[in-house]
Amino acid sequence: MNSFFKKNGSLISTVFLIAITFWLVFLILIPQLYMLDLSFRPNLPPLLRGGPDDVYTLTHYKHFVFGSETSKDTYNYVDIGVFVDTIGTAILVTIINLCFCYPIAFYIAKLATPNATRLLILALIIPFWINELLRSFAIRILFAGEGVINNLLIELGLLDVAVNFIALDVALYTGLTYAYILLMIFPLYNALETLDTNQLEAAKDLGSSTIRTHWRIVIPHAKAGIASGSTMVFMLTAGALATPVVLSSPNTFWFTQLIYQWFNMNDNWSRGSAYSIILLVVSVAFVLLMMRLFKVTIGEVVR
Amino acid sequence: MSVTAFNSAEFPSITPWECFSFRWFNEGKIAYDGQRLAGLAADRDLHVGFVTSLFIALGVVTLSVPIGMSAAIVLTQVHSKLRTLFYSMSIMPVLFPGVVIGISTVVLWDRIATLGGEGIISELGRNGIFLTILGQTCFISTYCFLIFVARLQRFDTTQEEAALDLGASQTQVFMKILIPYLMPAIGSSAVIAFLASFENYNTTVFSILSEQTLTTVIATKVRLGISPAISALAFVIICLTLIAAILYEFFRRRHERKKALESAEKMSKEISSDRLKESSKKALVLPKSIFVILFLFLVAIIGWQQIIKNNLYGAECIAKAEDAKKSNFADQLKLLQNNADTLETEGGDGGTGSTNEYNDIFGDPNLFKNFGGFDN
Repeated sequence: MNSFFKKNGSLISTVFLIAITFWLVFLILIPQLYMLDLSFRPNLPPLLRGGPDDVYTLTHYKHFVFGSETSKDTYNYVDIGVFVDTIGTAILVTIINLCFCYPIAFYIAKLATPNATRLLILALIIPFWINELLRSFAIRILFAGEGVINNLLIELGLLDVAVNFIALDVALYTGLTYAYILLMIFPLYNALETLDTNQLEAAKDLGSSTIRTHWRIVIPHAKAGIASGSTMVFMLTAGALATPVVLSSPNTFWFTQLIYQWFNMNDNWSRGSAYSIILLVVSVAFVLLMMRLFKVTIGEVVR
Repeated sequence: MSVTAFNSAEFPSITPWECFSFRWFNEGKIAYDGQRLAGLAADRDLHVGFVTSLFIALGVVTLSVPIGMSAAIVLTQVHSKLRTLFYSMSIMPVLFPGVVIGISTVVLWDRIATLGGEGIISELGRNGIFLTILGQTCFISTYCFLIFVARLQRFDTTQEEAALDLGASQTQVFMKILIPYLMPAIGSSAVIAFLASFENYNTTVFSILSEQTLTTVIATKVRLGISPAISALAFVIICLTLIAAILYEFFRRRHERKKALESAEKMSKEISSDRLKESSKKALVLPKSIFVILFLFLVAIIGWQQIIKNNLYGAECIAKAEDAKKSNFADQLKLLQNNADTLETEGGDGGTGSTNEYNDIFGDPNLFKNFGGFDN
């Protein structure tokens, strides 16, 4: 600490220390710890907080698993169903995104001419300067009952009646996949660009098929990119609020919408905190799992 | 989506195309059921939200750029054992879902406000703008941190040591050597912080207690009633971003061309023999993008011709469409009333029959067939 102060001079050092402590402790640690703490407390009106009723309790977590006391089911099928549904859809969207972006990233990294590369990257980036909400809205217009896609299919004669894409969740999956394409393509592109093209040519000369080349050479090299991309897509999909609301059908209900309900409509902040902690734990667990699975460090995961 | 902004129909669609109008950019209209569908210029909520978003973004930039810079500089100066821990902790906010960050900020400051009693702390802790600035700073500082770390990796620390040897104080070293070197990083992280804060929704929707930002206004509009005013807004944003991108590219190319010209001049001065001087080509080189521009132009011209041919624009078109819709609505209202009348004369049960009444009125599949143009 002494050498730190001596190196930077007292004024600058104090400024640094204040800034960093403010950020790390006050903005990151303490709010999360307080939310954790709140999730263990019962939902009391503000006057009773801090009083004798304020004990540590597991009611909210119990509610998540077992439901309220008045319900007759053994487990809280609704809440758990929503949670499993959200996580399942997030995993599915991540896999779809990966399969979809891997060829594109490979094409941009290896097979395209420099001009085409620049144009493609530009075409990918420009929609992302628009707000996420507006992009989902645009996809909704495309998929609407009298939207462009339905009209096109009817004109082409492939359909007789308009297909309700939104109720079939197709629009939701497309919207979610599209929303985070960029986050998947860029790590993959960065990882693939460092691959030596000579290796690919050598493999072809030695007689391996394309699939084998990819499986044995390209994918292990792009491991870090895959892990990084999938992590970001999964976390953002599981924690998304805007896109599922815009593209929702009566069947879909997202976990973040549930948290929003508990928080703003039922005014039950401790229960909302408990559910957020569950979401947080699952996200972090997924990140750690990916890191362990692909043997990458956390520094490589974040762009 | 941009095209639907110009269609005067009430629900954003390309077919059926009602009339070409700028209506959604200006005053909007009052629908025949009394609901006011405001256009862009008339929408007070949108303006208030926009100003709030701007204010929050400025606050976030002033907070997160210094924090990111301090964290990056300190990262280069700690022991390697502490370094991984410090780095991981700085990266953490990006891994949290945005809603979690928003909720935790609100929850903590609500507690602080209650404990603080009366006075400024309690007011501040419940102020939506203050909470949103704090919540967004949390993870936007990480973006700035990463940018500064990348820039600092190529910094030559011997410059600092040389300055110290020559007798400068540490503050002078910082001000005159480090900050000018970091200027590009400061610029780019400020821009990224501003943009990320402006378009953030997940965190903002929880921490913006009673205020509104642009994104939350859009979200409420999308949820309550979809009108092409949103398409109009999207179109404006798209145009602004495209113009900004084109300007940036234009200035960059001009800068590069100027530099190339200067270096060519320098070279030609040094090499004074005629053989090595290149004759500048005066031929016209068509950029490939001319085809895209021609295509768009063609589409626009064809569309314009169609519009003029079918007389689909102007006030008379709008008046005609309004009349058509009003008569349609009047017919459906009559149908509704007929249904209600027949039911009153038939079933006079009252209590148990009341649900039946509703089923018969609203169960009529033809009742709202052309209403709104969208089937849910």
